[in-house]
Amino acid sequence: MISNSGSRRSRQSAVRIFAQEYSESSLIERGLGEYDPSFVITKLGAKVNRCLICGGLERMERRDGDSGPFYRGQVRDPSGTHYFDVAPFQPELHPDAEELLARFETGDSILVSIVGRQKSNESEDGGIFTSIRAESFTEIDMESYKSWLVEAADATLRRLEAYAASQGAELTEESLGGAGVPSDLVSGMIKSREHYSEFDTEAYRVWILKAFSRALGRAEELPEISISNDSRPADVPPAESAESADPRDVILGIMSSSGGDLVEYEDLFSACISAGSSAEAAEDAIEHLRDVTMEISEPKFGFFSSSS
Amino acid sequence: MSDQTKYANQIAVVKQECPDADEGEIGKEFARYEGDFLIPPEDALRSVIRKFQVSTGVEVPTSSSTPVREEKNVGRFSELDADDRNITIEVAVVSYTPRTQMVRGEEKQIAFGWIEDNPHVASSERVRWDYKDWGNKGESMIPGSIVRLEGASVNEWNGKRSLNINRTTRVTVVKEGGGTAPPSGNEPLTIAKASEVEGFVNLVGRVISAKPDVIVRKDGSGEIPIVRGKIADSSGSIGFLSWKEFDHEEGALIKIVGASVRKFRETPEIQINDGTVIETYRDTAFPDVAELVESEKVSIADLRNGMRDISITLQIENWAQRTFEGQDGDSRVVRSGDVMDPTGRCRLTAWCDFDPKPGETIRIEGGRVQFWQGSPDLVIDNLEQVSNLSDSPWEKIDPENHWVEVDLTDITQGGSRRGISTSGTIVAINSGSGIIERCPECRRMLRDGTCSEHGAQRGEEDLRLRFVLDNGVSNANLFLGKGPAEDFLGMEMEEIKSEISSIGKEVFVSNLRRRVLARKMSVHGRCAVDEQGAMLFADRVALLEPRPVEEAEKVMEKWEVVL
Repeated sequence: MISNSGSRRSRQSAVRIFAQEYSESSLIERGLGEYDPSFVITKLGAKVNRCLICGGLERMERRDGDSGPFYRGQVRDPSGTHYFDVAPFQPELHPDAEELLARFETGDSILVSIVGRQKSNESEDGGIFTSIRAESFTEIDMESYKSWLVEAADATLRRLEAYAASQGAELTEESLGGAGVPSDLVSGMIKSREHYSEFDTEAYRVWILKAFSRALGRAEELPEISISNDSRPADVPPAESAESADPRDVILGIMSSSGGDLVEYEDLFSACISAGSSAEAAEDAIEHLRDVTMEISEPKFGFFSSSS
Repeated sequence: MSDQTKYANQIAVVKQECPDADEGEIGKEFARYEGDFLIPPEDALRSVIRKFQVSTGVEVPTSSSTPVREEKNVGRFSELDADDRNITIEVAVVSYTPRTQMVRGEEKQIAFGWIEDNPHVASSERVRWDYKDWGNKGESMIPGSIVRLEGASVNEWNGKRSLNINRTTRVTVVKEGGGTAPPSGNEPLTIAKASEVEGFVNLVGRVISAKPDVIVRKDGSGEIPIVRGKIADSSGSIGFLSWKEFDHEEGALIKIVGASVRKFRETPEIQINDGTVIETYRDTAFPDVAELVESEKVSIADLRNGMRDISITLQIENWAQRTFEGQDGDSRVVRSGDVMDPTGRCRLTAWCDFDPKPGETIRIEGGRVQFWQGSPDLVIDNLEQVSNLSDSPWEKIDPENHWVEVDLTDITQGGSRRGISTSGTIVAINSGSGIIERCPECRRMLRDGTCSEHGAQRGEEDLRLRFVLDNGVSNANLFLGKGPAEDFLGMEMEEIKSEISSIGKEVFVSNLRRRVLARKMSVHGRCAVDEQGAMLFADRVALLEPRPVEEAEKVMEKWEVVL
């Protein structure tokens, strides 16, 4: 049978996905051909090349890189944080990014919707940090956000169902298809089951329930859009589980071995992630060390050194 | 025309390789190849370069310190090194995808695809590589064929090797495309499975129809007798075309070994050739003709371009006839109209004296499908193919209100259809939304005042919006022409034009994005589906107000989630 996937470049659909599922992913499938799409494959078997995410804009900043200005931001949803950027080579998005930045700097709570492509960085020790390169974004109202919460919950439940169905089945296309895994999830499910170890899906259900209760208006407020400067978000447990290293130790370890060189924010961040921290904990740790204990300093924006 | 002008492109390539060569001489050499050897300049390129390399002393291959450029003749990709140039190898072409690419600020026509080494054996023993064609070799690099590449080079990038086919590479077709795969296995496939394959198959089926036909040779050298027909099993049916005698009657159960499946337009068809073996098959449990014919009935949603021998029931929406002058100068009459069934609507064209009234229900046997403006058009050629039904099998359809709701994913996986409605979330506003200029000759959109077909033109302004509709699993391009776009924006085209000229195109699109991005939209219109994906042409669209409570309750019920 002649495969036609080489000549066919149909557009990748935008996967609705909560931050936690996306950020837990450590499996990247790079397209073989020059124009083949790459994917982040999640534990639930979603193959994400493009995604549609929504949430509260938690952070937005402009940075200057070698190839021009770019923008970075974070978006909170009930499960966690999505990281996105607008690249220097997307100047057509810069006016909108600038406007969003201005809106953010007014201190107002802003809900955004972002369509973007998968992006991933690998740290030296093999940790994977997933983020999103925005293709387009806009501010949305509360009703639209709630509607997205339902859609993302629906999509996640569909994947959970497929994951459950895959449990008894052989990891082949026929077997998974026969077990009821939808065709768009089959190839991702095979790869995810081969790559990830068994995990408890209960955590997924927790934030799906949160999403529903917010969509139904049962939660008092939407914590993800209350931006507070005292960093630690309310629903993130203060201590990480026993198996992950304290992110502060990870950061200080990197600093002591950097030989006085400046270390980029992203590197510290992804090192913490790969050591098992959540994204929030990693960020908090960096801010804590910089602002509270002052063990590290930020002599140049986005670059850190040891204070001692 | 002088040789120099005629061969300017090829001369330029030779000059790149051999800067000292005289252009007039190069031109003469190409003229010599073309005139004396009947070798067109593209194919002569390598030989000419070689000649001038030698004569101008460009290349001293044996004793230089530069990488050795000797011809390297290999059978397998594994024998190649990362810096190999001037390679000769025979490969099977798997795919060929042309594309225009900017190379150093210049638009270049290149192509890429897959090739496999070891082309004369089964695919399982071949190795597949990517290749890039920089030399416009599309005429020879036809998928399915085996070619010999002379003068290709290895490209290594990020640890992955591929082959470059350069302008100077000679591509010789060793074996023409198609039919290269030997019959695989002896297990017959179901017809449904065989329809998805391209290549050789074995199958068992019952002959539903078989009629002698002829194919007229295009060059006027005569006719080829063939047999056309259809065979079916419980999984479906498929048309066949036999190039040799076919003496099995309708109702016969046969086993076909070594037929090839080809696609005619969008419809697979079995080709029976000299090498195909047909034998009578015995299976008392096999469904009989009546049963197979019953399951054969199609509806409008099932129609695909190129289908033949269609049986379908339809309700006439409207009907008209038109007279035109045929190629031979005689006036001919064609009758056509819109028809409906519960799955949608399409056009029906009659090349015979057929004059139904709107609202009538008709039955067609043996119709065929061709495409008209991207939508299926049912065609009947004589009156015997139609009958009037006094009883409609369904409640009379109201044409004013006949929209068939189709899930976006079903649209992308189905065929082109009219009269559908669907919905999804807008995930992109494509460029070219707003006021555009069209070529007055062909209605194509002008780029920088130029039509790709008719050159520089005084364009006619038009309004168009282009979105991408997405449901998380599937997506489709959505087009709004002037009318639907005006309705959606709530402004006349002139108002939109003056708004764009006062705020600028970027702000217009940015405002539009704010309004529609991540919003759900319902669409009424038609769809066209091809290999590139699905396109929706809207008659009307509307943004759907988010109703999170309702939506949440629905989804929670679906997945049995309790808060």
